[in-house]
Amino acid sequence: MDLKDELRSIAGNHVFSAKEEIIPFLSDASYFTGDEPIAVVVPGTAEEVSKIMAVCSRTETPVVVRGGGTSLTGASVLKGNGIVISMNRFDHVLETSVEDKYVVAEPGVRLDELNYHLEQFGHFYPPDPASSRAATVGGSLSTNAGGLRAAMYGTTKNWVLGMEVVMPDGQVLQFGGKTLKRTSGYDLTSLMVGAEGTLGIITKAILKIWPLPETKGRAVAYYKSIESVGEAVSELKRLGITPMIAEFLDRLTMNSITRNKGLKFPQDAEYMLIIDVASTRESVERELSGAADVLKKFGPIEVTTTTDSGEMEVMYEARKGAYASLLTERERSTQRVVIGDIVVPASKLADTLKESIEKMKELGIHSGLVGHVGDGNIHANIYADLEDEDEMERVEKFQREFGAIAIRHQGSVSAEHGIGMEKMDLLIDEFEGKHSLGTLELMKKIKRVFDPGDILNRGKLLRR
Amino acid sequence: MIDARLLESLDNATKDCISCGFCESVCPTLPASDYDLSRGARGRVLLGRALYKDLKEKGATEVNVADSFYSCLDCFACVHVCPAGVNAGEVSDIAKEIITATGSPLESQKKNVATMIVNSTMKYGNPLGLRKKAASWSEGLEFDGSSKTLLYTGNMYQLMPFSKSMGAMKAKLGNRAAERIAGYFKSHPQFIKLSGMFQDRTTREEMENSLRNIYALLRKSGADFNYLGEKEPYPGTFLYDLGYMEEFKEYANTVADLFRSEGVRRIITIDPHTHNVLKNNYPGVVKNFDFEIVYYLDLLDNKMFEPGEEDIEYHEPCYFTLREPVYREPEKTLSLAGNVHKPRRSGKNNFCCGGPSELLYPELAHSVSERRREQLEAGRGRRVVTACPICYANLNRDRDVTDIANYLSEHIKG
Ligand SMILES: Cc1cc2nc3c(=O)[nH]c(=O)nc-3n(C[C@H](O)[C@H](O)[C@H](O)COP(=O)(O)OP(=O)(O)OC[C@H]3O[C@@H](n4cnc5c(N)ncnc54)[C@H](O)[C@@H]3O)c2cc1C
Ligand code: SF4
Ligand code: SF4
Repeated sequence: MDLKDELRSIAGNHVFSAKEEIIPFLSDASYFTGDEPIAVVVPGTAEEVSKIMAVCSRTETPVVVRGGGTSLTGASVLKGNGIVISMNRFDHVLETSVEDKYVVAEPGVRLDELNYHLEQFGHFYPPDPASSRAATVGGSLSTNAGGLRAAMYGTTKNWVLGMEVVMPDGQVLQFGGKTLKRTSGYDLTSLMVGAEGTLGIITKAILKIWPLPETKGRAVAYYKSIESVGEAVSELKRLGITPMIAEFLDRLTMNSITRNKGLKFPQDAEYMLIIDVASTRESVERELSGAADVLKKFGPIEVTTTTDSGEMEVMYEARKGAYASLLTERERSTQRVVIGDIVVPASKLADTLKESIEKMKELGIHSGLVGHVGDGNIHANIYADLEDEDEMERVEKFQREFGAIAIRHQGSVSAEHGIGMEKMDLLIDEFEGKHSLGTLELMKKIKRVFDPGDILNRGKLLRR
Repeated sequence: MIDARLLESLDNATKDCISCGFCESVCPTLPASDYDLSRGARGRVLLGRALYKDLKEKGATEVNVADSFYSCLDCFACVHVCPAGVNAGEVSDIAKEIITATGSPLESQKKNVATMIVNSTMKYGNPLGLRKKAASWSEGLEFDGSSKTLLYTGNMYQLMPFSKSMGAMKAKLGNRAAERIAGYFKSHPQFIKLSGMFQDRTTREEMENSLRNIYALLRKSGADFNYLGEKEPYPGTFLYDLGYMEEFKEYANTVADLFRSEGVRRIITIDPHTHNVLKNNYPGVVKNFDFEIVYYLDLLDNKMFEPGEEDIEYHEPCYFTLREPVYREPEKTLSLAGNVHKPRRSGKNNFCCGGPSELLYPELAHSVSERRREQLEAGRGRRVVTACPICYANLNRDRDVTDIANYLSEHIKG
């Protein structure tokens, strides 16, 4: 039996190999094009995944696992030969316990669907990458996704209690569990978070959930200098004010939102800072005015506050859609908006932002700066023409330098998008910067223990 | 050779895609196909791109793209979430036009079932050659032969009983056998009329009942109009939907000529598909198509309805919600006679009933409509009301759906 027949004997007609069925799997949201897989399998049960992995292990066939295929780093397309396993059919929420504060979901459930389900229980799952309508539980766990609300709730890793994992040899294992705490040996659940499909295949996830905040309020400040933004956020942190959302946008991004969504901003504002507080009805006004007072200390052009949910929703969607607004303003269709994604300690924000802008100017990079600054995360939305070699070279150079700035300020080269194929060298830079290349060697050893044949997501994350 | 204009449209429609996958998350055919990405919105755009490149570089393609595009429901849910403004539905439309164009290098990818429908429409003015049966609902009703206003059913309500049983037959036979049979009909269109024997009787009674109710509602509102009876042609919507643009153009002109020869000035439409094709597609292919097109709900005297307390679950037609301009009259009128609720996936996030795939991909259509039924039913148990015969026929699995005309007729004062 050849490989395809063997896969068919396991997953029936959920095995694709015709050219037209394969083409859609060659792309994710990154600018990488994947290699053609021998086949794509869309299994429906952990047992099927286990059998498929046993076959792949025996035949030494590399495997890429795919969720929503929204990866920005080429993590969900194939490099080299092998097959793709799509987890889309795992699209059920299995169990919800408000009392014990967890939900059990299959990995193919999209994050917005999960939250729609939880809303009916008055709860939510906080990680909210801007791609939440398409990103799946499995993919967001595997990239340790962040998002707007991470300022208060942290990233995905804070919300994963346990999981079921199919190992490369086909074993089905349970990591973690349904309790909010446990100390029972190595924390393999955490190891899987951010592993980008290189260690095992998640077939079930137990996630922590939280009551929806009673009410929210928003303070918005506009500044002329980037330092003011950085300092305002640091000061909020210093005073123990933890916003639910702390986002900043630059003028280029504001202009594009104005053109695409019709929202208006003060004319001479160069930067906008959005601070959301989540609280009880009684205290939201007080917390909001506390935050506004801090924002006023740093020479704003204007500070406004609101608790009107309609008004807040419009702005939230505009921020979430900032990338979309920038996209519609491409000069050529060969242009992409490549996203830089670094993180630094909040106290280093002002310097980091300043240095990043200088570097952009120096290299002639056309980019909007936005960020989840509440947790020190800055995104550079860079216009890059894939067919312009010179421009791509400059963009790559900037990405390296952007990473270097983060490393210099004790941050990281990847805040939330992961490494994939895009940042393998930057990852080395990061550990070199810490004089700790041994850490990478340890990661490689761990990878070998989990996946001795190196069949899972080969050629990603760690350079061989 | 492919028309340079078509190739350029395909280029323009696909080039901005950044493959973010947002469109996939709302596309009804993706989960319904068990996540065959080529049957989802992003897959269609990526395949459209691949097709464009092949045609541009080699003038031909080895990729079998037809099923991806033909299975598109043309619902346009995808365009509302695309950050780059791409419309996968439009990509499918252009690709279908490329496949069906005269001398297309994709000739072998044409669908026999589609060609059969096209041939029969061209020959008989009805996809199944059923003009006589299409007029039987009007027996005994009076029309004003001198009126310049025409009640134009477009045969849509009347086709549903056949499309339903043919879909069921096709699902039973499997795609290949159905394609072979259709291949035979394609070259012997005279036998297509036999398909009139295969109709779902209950659906036929229900559809005729709706037509009579629409007639009565209009009459009660004081409207006078003519009806063409057996002369009434089908508007050619399938030709347009299946990408047969050359045939559509020719056909639309014969329909327009007939309207003119009957002295028609104003046309009352009664289903969203016919309304859309006359209003938006005819003017593009018929010179001086200057008829006034009105939807029947716009002509109703709203004072005749009795306020109702019943909680109803309204399924909106994609053509009225996902395309511009949005047409809100059905919901407004329904609210006069009941408490209207809508499922989460409504408005700009509407979820199609699956109907547009019924003839070519009945299993896919069934799977889409099952999902929609779940959304409509989730924890409610309310009566579902539709405002389109296709939605009605596809969602009414357990005889628990009501057409808007029938619902309104139940709520007339006195
Ligand atoms: C417009 C846009 C905005 C974005 N905004 C954000 C943002 O604000 N914050 C953020 O953090 N990210 C963001 N992203 C990046 C991306 O959406 C996230 O990384 C997302 O979490 C990936 O989810 P996915 O289901 O699409 O995964 P995929 O892209 O399918 O896969 C991602 C990785 O996870 C692995 N994987 C998938 N499923 C499994 C499984 N079941 N078991 C094991 N491994 C698996 C894959 O092999 C791959 O390595 C954005 C992307 C886009 C396109
Ligand atoms: S939403 Fe738009 S950009 Fe994203 S994959 Fe679909 S068509 Fe492409
Ligand atoms: S038009 Fe509808 S069926 Fe077609 S690709 Fe878009 S969402 Fe899917």
